[in-house]
Amino acid sequence: MAMRTTKRPDLSVDFAGIRLKNPVLTASGTFGYGEEYREIVDLNRLGGVIVKGVSFKPITGNPPPRIWETPSGMLNAIGLENPGVEVFLREKLPYLRQFDTAVIVNVFGYSLEDYVAVTERLDGVPGIAGLEVNISCPNVKAGGIVFGTNVMSSFELLSTLRKKTKLPLIAKLSPNVTDIAEFARAAADAGCDGLSLVNTLLGMAIDVRSRKPRLANCTGGLSGPAIRPVAVRMVWQAARAVRLPIIGMGGIMTAEDALEFVLAGASAVAVGTANFVEPAATLAVIDGIEAFLAQEGVASLRELVGQVRTS
Amino acid sequence: MPSTRVHEALVVENRDAGRGYYRIVLRAPALAAQARPGHFVMLRVSENRDPLLARPFGIASVRSARDLDLYYRVVGRGTALLTAVKKGAELAVHGPLGNGFPAPAKGEMPLLVAGGSGFPPLLFFAAQHGIRARLFAGSRDKACLPPAAAMQAFRAMVQAVHYATEDGSRGTCGFVTDALAAYLARPAGGPRRPVIYACGPHPMLAAVSSLAADRGVTCYVSVEERMACGLGVCMGCSVAVKAGGYRRVCKEGPVFDAREIDWGTGRTGR
Repeated sequence: MAMRTTKRPDLSVDFAGIRLKNPVLTASGTFGYGEEYREIVDLNRLGGVIVKGVSFKPITGNPPPRIWETPSGMLNAIGLENPGVEVFLREKLPYLRQFDTAVIVNVFGYSLEDYVAVTERLDGVPGIAGLEVNISCPNVKAGGIVFGTNVMSSFELLSTLRKKTKLPLIAKLSPNVTDIAEFARAAADAGCDGLSLVNTLLGMAIDVRSRKPRLANCTGGLSGPAIRPVAVRMVWQAARAVRLPIIGMGGIMTAEDALEFVLAGASAVAVGTANFVEPAATLAVIDGIEAFLAQEGVASLRELVGQVRTS
Repeated sequence: MPSTRVHEALVVENRDAGRGYYRIVLRAPALAAQARPGHFVMLRVSENRDPLLARPFGIASVRSARDLDLYYRVVGRGTALLTAVKKGAELAVHGPLGNGFPAPAKGEMPLLVAGGSGFPPLLFFAAQHGIRARLFAGSRDKACLPPAAAMQAFRAMVQAVHYATEDGSRGTCGFVTDALAAYLARPAGGPRRPVIYACGPHPMLAAVSSLAADRGVTCYVSVEERMACGLGVCMGCSVAVKAGGYRRVCKEGPVFDAREIDWGTGRTGR
């Protein structure tokens, strides 16, 4: 076998105008605000950090039990507990800004006004590379229907937010829909710059002896390797429907898992639940992708995006 | 706060300790050097994806400044898999985690209250502060008490051991709180002020806390809760507090002043 050149493969990505040194990000809600991993992960090595969801006002979250382990996965119903945007800006962002990594802020609300308020507050703040909008919240005013599972509400929400910020806007899509392509198109039509998918799959577990749900909230979001094939399929479908760049996520534990998403059409990936299990998982994924490219003689990761051979 | 890192720990021993428990000894010098009573670790029971999550275990003791002793009860698939791990294997472990127990002040007499499988952190506490301590060990029946080796270690380190079993098969018949209440009701036997350190299932901690509040005794509880990360990130292990909202067992805990916890909210048992 011929020796490969020693030139290191190019892992950099231009994602919707955000320069990432490599394609590996942290999925929102699985990496806190970065500081929690201070002694485990050198944030300078990450392509970016997508922080835990931030709302306009603080949210205390759901009563326990909040998590339950399932086959190759876990259910969670944390209730989007967070300290609110002002505390985020004052106490969390300054830490993250010390590092050479893209900071993407995940935002959400329970009404259109909430979403607008947090988006406007973050617009123009130095040190923020982009916003990821979690559209999987129930719209309290519309009787609790979930923004992200209704195409019209998704479009209205995202097009409203589009007018409120100059930052790259990334829509985080819910997998709990029949046709993901429809939602990808709604996000593109609303003027979004990129997509993140998937969020967690809605699930439930029951203790058969007490006959009670395992989670106080009854249902929760399923994450981990169990959902990966569903997520890869949805990234593939969304990539075929729109030209927006995609951050692929859902059960990524290894570089090979991440590369599946890239071949399906993701330009970048996010590591989520793996951060709980193997706190340094992100670093292993980055190293693994680089090693894979070198081994395969691929000069740049960009050459692999969407290159699944379907025929 | 200790420095939290991921360690590859060598399994020095992993054997049946009796009464449904195993004791596993892990060689992880950097971790052991920082471990204090009340700290815990997150241990991967297998490298496979199922079961996925690491398990939290309270540190029972540190030996020769390099080995950690953990006790675990075989309660599910994760702990059953852990029993098959052989001496010489390596396991990923991160820690030490959590805040740990406050050291007793001069003139205080620690009353250690262990329920269910909550004894390991108290064993570590006894190794450092056992000289004036008393242990109250409670369980359903004598077969569910901590394993013999653990009880032997306690007896060597504390001043006295009180047993309480619900069926009366060992010690006082009734809950561990009954035995504790009887002790607190005795005529004051000295100048030392009692301080309670409790670890066990949620209902027991609630009962001990209520007793401590009635008697005006300071009480620290080490809370058990399911957790995914142990790093303060997943927010899965939260307990309700009287001040409103929640605190993370892995980060602000696992040891809390019992008066902080809102015992009426959330889980009432498992």
